[in-house]
Amino acid sequence: MKKSFFCGVSILGLTACATQPQPRPPPLPSAQPQPSTTLQLVAAIDADARQSDHEPDAKVRAELAAEAGRDADACLAREPQAAACLYGSAIALGLEARAHPARAGESLNGMLDKLARAESADPNYDEAGPARVRALVLIRAPGWPLGPGDTEAGLDAARRAVALRPQYPPNLLALAEGLAKTGDRSGARDTYARARDAAQALPDAADREEWLREADQGLKH
Amino acid sequence: MTTLLAASLATLVFCAPGYPGGAGDAQPLLDQFAAAAAAASGWPAGSLGAVYDPTEEGGLAKLASSDAVLAFVPYPFYVEHAAQLHLTPLVQADMADIGPQQRWTLVAKSGRLTGPASMPGYLLLSTAGYAPDFIRRSALQDWALPADVKIEFTGQVLSALRRAAAGEPVAILLDQTQAAALPSLPFAAELKSVTQSAELPVALIAVVGSRLAAPRAKALQEGLLKMSHSSGSSESLAPLRLRGFVLPQLPSRSVP
Repeated sequence: MKKSFFCGVSILGLTACATQPQPRPPPLPSAQPQPSTTLQLVAAIDADARQSDHEPDAKVRAELAAEAGRDADACLAREPQAAACLYGSAIALGLEARAHPARAGESLNGMLDKLARAESADPNYDEAGPARVRALVLIRAPGWPLGPGDTEAGLDAARRAVALRPQYPPNLLALAEGLAKTGDRSGARDTYARARDAAQALPDAADREEWLREADQGLKH
Repeated sequence: MTTLLAASLATLVFCAPGYPGGAGDAQPLLDQFAAAAAAASGWPAGSLGAVYDPTEEGGLAKLASSDAVLAFVPYPFYVEHAAQLHLTPLVQADMADIGPQQRWTLVAKSGRLTGPASMPGYLLLSTAGYAPDFIRRSALQDWALPADVKIEFTGQVLSALRRAAAGEPVAILLDQTQAAALPSLPFAAELKSVTQSAELPVALIAVVGSRLAAPRAKALQEGLLKMSHSSGSSESLAPLRLRGFVLPQLPSRSVP
């Protein structure tokens, strides 16, 4: 793929969208350091993604991406058609894209493929996670011809996520982001307000605070 | 005083409206480039900083700061703002994939546009749409756009192409990379290239006003020109998709 001026600086903060999923499998037992069940492998990928989100050291992020990739491969080897493994593999590819920007295009396309398969297998997984994460990738990735970004397709995916789980704040936040990017300020504002209301209706938790913060930020623009 | 000036921090402002990427993502690459450029030019370590802004407004705001002595901008930005900012080209970027120059291509629905006279009422969309003077006087200087053609910036080129393919009165001005990728679109047969610009610079580094003393500017120019030949420097170029720099080769009517 040919690149253009400054596309070298277009490294995405895709981890942010890759780590939106919030499945909460039980913590790994300390006596079992290597994840081996599907549930444990998915939990390990999620933990790597969360750690990567707050990790300033690029080398550590690359190690986390590699570890998540190994866990995703192991998960797919066990259950190749399972939504959890396909979804986990997509998240691992998001970490890979961030850790290795030169290969980001390939990783993002692989991510979209895995998300499409996860959505086919179980669209409701992780509160409509496959459609939601797909939306965020399409909305945030560099657009044609530099990358797979496609805001219209991203909006469609976000609408699917909201249709499946209308009260889950990250789905509404993804839709609001897409609307804002297409210039629909009124629609974006309304949807950020819905996301804030939905988050406020949830029990107090770290995730809720983050969603409220994101909704409030969106409402300021 | 001279020593103080030589050691003072000069800032290079990167601004690329319409291209993806955020300032936070770009900063480590810019820091690496600034350090390498300073070293290649014999400037004191740490005397050249760099900042990035992906928007025209943000870039202009950063360039208004007195420590913003250099601008690294796409040619459309240069044409649009060179007079206002008193930009003096120092070097021209030699891009890894397309070289130092590129052609812009006007695309519309197949069979709709036969010449400028068939464009009244059209909307022209482009990543360079923030620079209407560039579009009218440089990219389409041989295709006299009717006065009522509205020019708008878009970062959503794919959406714009879909609109044109669907038959809306929309024309899109594509840069060389975009035009080269056009045949890969599933609806490419619905679109047609109607005219193409002469070769124009892709991007320039320019001195802002008189903020950089001539000897320092000369040293920087020489340093930038030799960056591609030095292994240490070239490592900072590749992440920005740069092969190096050449002396500016501006068309005769670069600035209105």
